[in-house]
Amino acid sequence: MTQENVRVLVVDDELGMREGCRKILEPEGYIVESAEDGQAGLELFQRRGDFAIALVDLNMPRMGGMKLIGRLRELDEDVVIFVITAYAAIETAVEATRRGAYGYIPKPFTPDELLLPVRNGIERRALAIEAKRLREERERRLLEVAFERTKASTIISCMTDGVLVINRDKQIVLRNNGMMRILPSCATLSLSSPLSALECPELEKLIEEVLSTDTGPVIASREVALDRCVYMVNASPVLEPNGDVMGAVAVLRDITALKKLDVAKSMFISMVAHEVKNPLAAVENYLTVILKGYVDGEPEKQRDMLERSMVRLNTLRTMVSELINLTAIETGNFTVKRSVLGLTQVVTEALDACRERAEGKKQELSFSCANGAEDVQILADRDSLFIVCTNLIDNAIKYTPEGGAIRVQVAQNGAFLKLSVEDNGIGMSDEESEHVFEEFFRVKNRQTVKEPGTGLGLSLVKRLVEMHDGAISLRSTPGAGSTFTLSLPIAARMGM
Amino acid sequence: MNAHPTRIVAIDDDVDALECIGYVLRNAGYETHCFATATEALAAMAQTPPDVVITDLMMETLDSGFGFARRLREDERFAKVPIIVVTAAASQRGFDFTPRDEHDLAAMKVDAVFAKPVAPDELLATIRRLLGAARPDTTSGGPAR
Ligand SMILES: Nc1ncnc2c1ncn2[C@@H]1O[C@H](COP(=O)(O)OP(=O)(O)OP(=O)(O)O)[C@@H](O)[C@H]1O
Ligand SMILES: [Mg+2]
Repeated sequence: MTQENVRVLVVDDELGMREGCRKILEPEGYIVESAEDGQAGLELFQRRGDFAIALVDLNMPRMGGMKLIGRLRELDEDVVIFVITAYAAIETAVEATRRGAYGYIPKPFTPDELLLPVRNGIERRALAIEAKRLREERERRLLEVAFERTKASTIISCMTDGVLVINRDKQIVLRNNGMMRILPSCATLSLSSPLSALECPELEKLIEEVLSTDTGPVIASREVALDRCVYMVNASPVLEPNGDVMGAVAVLRDITALKKLDVAKSMFISMVAHEVKNPLAAVENYLTVILKGYVDGEPEKQRDMLERSMVRLNTLRTMVSELINLTAIETGNFTVKRSVLGLTQVVTEALDACRERAEGKKQELSFSCANGAEDVQILADRDSLFIVCTNLIDNAIKYTPEGGAIRVQVAQNGAFLKLSVEDNGIGMSDEESEHVFEEFFRVKNRQTVKEPGTGLGLSLVKRLVEMHDGAISLRSTPGAGSTFTLSLPIAARMGM
Repeated sequence: MNAHPTRIVAIDDDVDALECIGYVLRNAGYETHCFATATEALAAMAQTPPDVVITDLMMETLDSGFGFARRLREDERFAKVPIIVVTAAASQRGFDFTPRDEHDLAAMKVDAVFAKPVAPDELLATIRRLLGAARPDTTSGGPAR
């Protein structure tokens, strides 16, 4: 067996030794290079490198063999170093091994006495290099796996959704932080606790469905209520590459907010239906009574009833348009055409639209504008502002008894323009005031019962005001009156 | 036996529904007392007990017309007074209030349930039927026509 491309460094101060080694090794295919002392050997090694074997004499000028062994070992951990020496003192051998020598070849030696250890050395080197490669590869893979695992587990633990993994024996094998938040009992349980220890029968049932063998692997989704929250639970089997079920994974997503929205929407629809049905029923009632001839002898009464029907139909129409506006605002389809305008003009128009009703109730309807406020401009949608003003003035008229007084004022307050609508009407308790901006809220008492209305007016007003970056507030005292105050950001002063 | 004309209490928080029922009942010759709330009606009934009570279902002051009916049933003065429920909300918030048979009516502790708008003829016929069942009645006038 000859060696291809195996380089051997021979360092010895005796030329005979150097040549002797060459003669033995070269016929075997080794590439032999030599140096006559430690320093030269080191330089050669540094320059050429890549020696598999170094045969080093101990006693040499400039740099001794002992020192050279240490230096070579530093440069290359794989090079196999043999000490060639006549003094086979045991301490010397031990010291050489400690410094990194692999073996010891006593001088003088036969060709075989050199070739055998060299061959061994080469084999050992190959093994060591292979072992090192494997070790490095394993370490790299381990690192990769560890990294992937930490990455996956970091992602899972950072998920806001709860994640719970169960093995085939229904033991918990993984639960993330989200899961522990959702089910605090989860945090106290150790891994491989039984699923039943969670004491959450709904979750258990769902996972059992997934793991059930008679139906085959299935994905189960259900809403589960836990501790005042509602979760959408999606449970699916964890499959082995061959399709066997290893366990199940359940992901819990908090849908409480969505649920609440859903309930609120249904409530809203049911309220709308109720509010539509009432006036319709009232009108139908009147018309039936009239058509069936119950009021035949009383034309006055008939007229009364028809007029009341008209009032109810009007409210219904207002309500429908208010609903349309509210929905449009909510879905972002409400078009506001903003322009620079004076609030006072809009207020004056609104007052004109309401004056007849106030006169009907013998109420005093007054308007005043604080110094210079008439020139103040705001950036707003005229139609929206008109709706806001008429609603506030209309309410003041409606909820103020005959002969009352309604005062509308516009004034500047810093960067805002203030509009206040004050009445000395029936007022409201603090409790009632809190709810006036809610859809369909109406105070029900003897004083309000005769007033038509849907309870949508102020909720629309509030939305519109907010769309204009303004704010609305109210002060009210039962039996004394109410003041609604609106503030809108000023755009500019006229002529500026 | 009946010293007073047949007296009916009608309760509804919708002014117009109340106005209509009131008109039809008066027109039919009944002494009719209208109230917007159950509380007001109860106060008045303590003075002059009615022969029939007609009430709206969704009322603000008591939990509902049914709660009001239960109150009347528990009060010995009104325990036997026929109660008619008139409601715009046959089904509210997922509850179906429409009685399916006599048992339902009994459980509701009321004698008849109508959905709004109630046809005047039917209402009057029911009143007559309930009054006839409650006691032989001579004083109640029939409808004008
Ligand atoms: N100036 C006021 N004085 C006393 N109560 C008021 C006043 N304005 C509003 N309210 C109370 O607030 C409730 C809600 O008002 P809102 O304008 O939203 O509805 P509405 O007037 O009943 O009906 P509409 O939708 O036709 O305006 C009213 O029903 C009333 O009880
Ligand atoms: Mg209003």
